[in-house]
Amino acid sequence: MSTLWQKDIHRGDRLFQFVLRACAIAAMVLLLFMVVNLGYRSWPAFKVFGLKFFVSSDWDPVNDQFGVVSFVYGTLVSSALALLIAVPVSVGSALCLTELAPRRISAVLGFLIEMLAAIPSVVYGLWGIFVLAPLMRETVQPFLGKYLGWIPLFSGPAYGVGMLTAGILLAIMIIPTILSISREVFFAIPRAQREAALALGATRFETLWIAVVKSSVSGLFGASVLGLARAFGETMAVTMVIGNRAEVAVSLFAPGQTMASVIANEYAEATTDIHLAALGAVGVTLFLVSWLINSTARAIVSRSERRGGAGGR
Amino acid sequence: MTSSENSNVILEADKIHAWFGSHEAVKGVSLSAVMGTVTALIGPSGCGKSTFIRTLNRLHEEIPHTRVEGQVILEGKNIYERGVDPVGVRRKIGMVFQKPNPFPSMSIFENVAAGLRLAGISKRSLLAEVVEQSLKQAALFEEVKDKLKAPGTSLSGGQQQRLCIARALAVKPPVLLMDEPTSALDPISTAKIEELVMELKKDVTVVMVTHNMQQAARISDKTAFFLMGELIEWGDTSQVFTTPKVEKTEQYITGRFG
Amino acid sequence: MDDKAPRPSGGSGPSGTTFVRMIRKQTPQPRWGGRRYTRARLSLSDVKRRWVSRFGVFFLYCLTFLAVTPLLGIFIYIVNKGIPGLNRDFFVSLPKPVGETGGGMGNAIVGSGILVSLTSIIGVPWGILLGVYLSEYASSRLARWLRQCIDQLSSIPSIVIGLFAYAMIVVWTKHFSAWAGTFALLIILVPIVARTTEEILKLVPQHIREAGLALGIPRWNVTLFIVLKGVRGGVMTGVILGIARIMGETAPLIFTAFNNQYGFSGLNQPTASLPVQLYTYAISPFEEWHQQAWTGALVLVGIVLALNVISRILFKKSEVRRD
Repeated sequence: MSTLWQKDIHRGDRLFQFVLRACAIAAMVLLLFMVVNLGYRSWPAFKVFGLKFFVSSDWDPVNDQFGVVSFVYGTLVSSALALLIAVPVSVGSALCLTELAPRRISAVLGFLIEMLAAIPSVVYGLWGIFVLAPLMRETVQPFLGKYLGWIPLFSGPAYGVGMLTAGILLAIMIIPTILSISREVFFAIPRAQREAALALGATRFETLWIAVVKSSVSGLFGASVLGLARAFGETMAVTMVIGNRAEVAVSLFAPGQTMASVIANEYAEATTDIHLAALGAVGVTLFLVSWLINSTARAIVSRSERRGGAGGR
Repeated sequence: MTSSENSNVILEADKIHAWFGSHEAVKGVSLSAVMGTVTALIGPSGCGKSTFIRTLNRLHEEIPHTRVEGQVILEGKNIYERGVDPVGVRRKIGMVFQKPNPFPSMSIFENVAAGLRLAGISKRSLLAEVVEQSLKQAALFEEVKDKLKAPGTSLSGGQQQRLCIARALAVKPPVLLMDEPTSALDPISTAKIEELVMELKKDVTVVMVTHNMQQAARISDKTAFFLMGELIEWGDTSQVFTTPKVEKTEQYITGRFG
Repeated sequence: MDDKAPRPSGGSGPSGTTFVRMIRKQTPQPRWGGRRYTRARLSLSDVKRRWVSRFGVFFLYCLTFLAVTPLLGIFIYIVNKGIPGLNRDFFVSLPKPVGETGGGMGNAIVGSGILVSLTSIIGVPWGILLGVYLSEYASSRLARWLRQCIDQLSSIPSIVIGLFAYAMIVVWTKHFSAWAGTFALLIILVPIVARTTEEILKLVPQHIREAGLALGIPRWNVTLFIVLKGVRGGVMTGVILGIARIMGETAPLIFTAFNNQYGFSGLNQPTASLPVQLYTYAISPFEEWHQQAWTGALVLVGIVLALNVISRILFKKSEVRRD
């Protein structure tokens, strides 16, 4: 068979494939090496503090005491807060933009929002420091404290910066993400389904509910998880408005610290090896937690898609 | 045109015009449907018959940049009159679409119950009763009675279409509109649906768009022929198919165009 | 809603009313047997449903307002606050010490330019080749592993990527440098370019590849000069979006490229960048620096949005629109 095949063609193909494979292997080896290397650098922290690293909220670089709990708490609470605000707002407005608003307005707003999703987080942080934080300190937090102050969540002095401010800023940042994905999810629903509901005598709102929202639950879930992932790993904006204090406080007004923000704050200035190792260990924790969230979410989405799409022709 | 010589007219369209933007898809069609009959709308594709049927339950206006003029009288009331809620109109006039469109997020049971739930009926026993009755009417009950909890989309195409018919029947509408209900189905499912329509007409008045002349001839009592947005001829099916009064109808029926 | 319904012109004509009267008299009740639950129940709940629907729709409009206002607010704020500091000095001068007026972000703009171009020169071809590998040799085990890695990589928080680069380069060379920053940005850029390239190549119909192969053109030639060339607009879209993304990245640069107030002094030296400079100035207590930060934000947003708009136009022009 080889008579038909010119040799140089073979060689070109083989070379091409070799180059491609080399690129692929280089990428994977590099990734593996990076993960191992980071693990190696932060190993001293795990070795010295052991399990205590994960259960202690004591973070005191001066006395070489390191525990990650307050950062995990900060990350979880600020992200949850952001999601709590952003999901209803973005899903609702995505519905409004795809189903209710006049087409031209919806196209313009959709475009603007997609553009806003591209604004760097440090810019959001800048706005957070100079606009949102003063607004929270002077108006929102006193108001909340006055009327809801009996709930521990809204007690204490109004600093402006703090967990609540970080949560709101994160919400503003992830709204474009969730909104644009939800919009695509809604766009994908066939007209026929909306008409089926209308023809049954559903009102406009009922049509949205039974024909649009109900059949896009898994897509909306995916959108929310992507928003959560963004909130989780978000560093700069949060660092700039969360107040950066390593403590677990009940009040949402109190300053806090997230896993990402403590690294951003202290890494460049850390001097002792154990401090660097501890920060690296925080990074490893963040890496593991976000990996966990992502894979769980992916599994849930793919399972619900399989179930919902069973035989769906 | 030949309007209500019959006293049992339940649905009457009077000089209906329908637009998509500036394109007039339906040009002044007047037509009435007699209770307990099947009216078939035939004509080449793009002749406005689907648009026309969608004006009968005010679904046409749900598409942006469309407009309707004229009146449709259902049980003595013009559904296009000011103050009439299209939602109420659609509850009285069921509709079945070209492609089966069960709600993918709902089970078979929930699909049929959807209209009743919208109407505020939540009593389990009543729902179960009506769902069973509707599925039986749609000749689907025997096939699905053991898997009412399965998703509606798990059925075959023909079954899905009968599910949609059951869903439309559950709220007991006096009129049922069908927009080429068999065009997406295989011949066996088509035959089942045709049989079903003939069975249904004792309870509900059917207005049906079809692209298939044989189907119209087989199951309808009245036939209306549409061309370029206009109603060319309308009368008893046997008369339209055997002795058409208008030449264009004859040409179409004998297959000379379209 | 129902108030959007077109107003029918009929309905008041004399023929209409006669029809109505005639038919109202003659229409018998439908022959549905059994329970007569429908009508009574419906009329009662209908009013409620209509109000629920109206309120719901109103509520959705409120949510839209809530979503759009802060986002547009941020945009307007940046433009407003940033414009006063926008002058020639801002782009070319080095920062002045605190207390002196004037100065600019020349160092940061040059630094960002160097970091981003260096990253693109290495990262874009690498990413494209990975994308080609993923799509054209998709079934091989290596490709499946690679896709897993790339998926995971794109979900890693950017601050952790900074840690990776620190542990790899800074620990090894013992100082912050443009190279370390480039390395960090590479880890962000390569997956983006690889994934978009793969997605776009998957849209190329199989028969185009087969047409090329059937002509006796070697596979690598078909892949590069027929398949890839055919979708270069789409690939460019991904590349530009990736570049826009790394343009604004701050977290991975804080402890890799670090900062440099004295202008660019070599790839082995700490290098300033627009986002990091902006961050430093924003958290500083000095009024003049705050103004610089706002102007920096305006410039940064301008660049990023311009890149996004360009990529959009390219995508519209390219052949691979999915509709």
